[in-house]
Amino acid sequence: MKLLFHRISRALLISALFVITTTITVHAQDPRIRLAALDHLATKASETVDVNIDERLIQLAAKLFNDKDVDEAKIKKLVNGLKGIYVKSFEFDDENAYSTADVDSIRSQLREPAWSRLVNVTSKREGIVEVYIALNGPDVLGLAVLSAEPKELTIVNIVGPVDLEKLAKLQGNLNIPDLGIEPTKTKTKNEQ
Amino acid sequence: MNEEYLWDKSGEPDPEIQELEQILGVLRYQPKPLDLGDEVQPRSRNRYLPLIAIAATLLIALIAGALWLRVRSKTVPQLNNAGIESPKRQQVIPKIEHQKTNDILATIPGKSSREPRPKVKEVKHPRTLEVSNMTASERQQALEAKEQLMIALRLTSEKLNLAHRKAQSASPNQIRNQHKVG
Repeated sequence: MKLLFHRISRALLISALFVITTTITVHAQDPRIRLAALDHLATKASETVDVNIDERLIQLAAKLFNDKDVDEAKIKKLVNGLKGIYVKSFEFDDENAYSTADVDSIRSQLREPAWSRLVNVTSKREGIVEVYIALNGPDVLGLAVLSAEPKELTIVNIVGPVDLEKLAKLQGNLNIPDLGIEPTKTKTKNEQ
Repeated sequence: MNEEYLWDKSGEPDPEIQELEQILGVLRYQPKPLDLGDEVQPRSRNRYLPLIAIAATLLIALIAGALWLRVRSKTVPQLNNAGIESPKRQQVIPKIEHQKTNDILATIPGKSSREPRPKVKEVKHPRTLEVSNMTASERQQALEAKEQLMIALRLTSEKLNLAHRKAQSASPNQIRNQHKVG
């Protein structure tokens, strides 16, 4: 009886450790950026955009997209499967309204190996623009854009399988630009 | 009456007070061991109790974790309402025209048109998901969510455009790191 009890306790302990480790690993791969550290900037900003759309709201909004409309269908397809879209954008009247620490509080979360930087353009006059992508093997887990201009600070965080191919195909719709992301070549009917 | 006696027993005692002291003195606290009798016996402490508590806690955590993972894994396929499913999955699929289906299939990464296409069942879309069946509050919430979604996409688009424009116009030393994905 005592031996059985010890074995059960050991098995439980190992299982609990496994669950804890799995949870920590999953959490570490979570491409959600904590943006709350920037909330204090809202008081200084002349204009603030704060978008928090979770999976449920995305799915709810997706129902309103018209499948017969080509553009809306594309957007619906793009947002389908996303787990969240979070945006914080602050526009200030004066320069230096936000600090380097504010930017670093976001940048510190966008580190390897979870995140890979796609683009980093730094200009003393115009500020910085950084584009990050979270990958798990070939799967895209999320996208982050950090734009710190003299009078504007914007952070975009898209959580979920952002299909870069679909994103690239959306060029022209909503002014979504070409990021140099070439879609995988799929043979069209004419090529068959 | 001498109040000093009442205060610290230093003065001349009052006979009445002394009498009262004698009467009440029998009720004074007498230190003696507590006698609980034979009926009440202290219960022996179970040495395994803490271990059982820990094991129970771990078990609850394990069950909660398993439930959470189960709910999480169930939620994702339910929300995938694109209309294209792998043959393994069996789900209600919205009605899609054949031509449109073929076009959509052609856009799926890694799925060329020559590959055998998954059979798409033509099943009537569940009416519960129709917009017309949404309640007023749900519709309002959906409209607000859509508006926010469009703002977010526009802003994302704008910033990506900015990144692209800057990357193209910037000198090579300004671009510190740029990879091509795809």
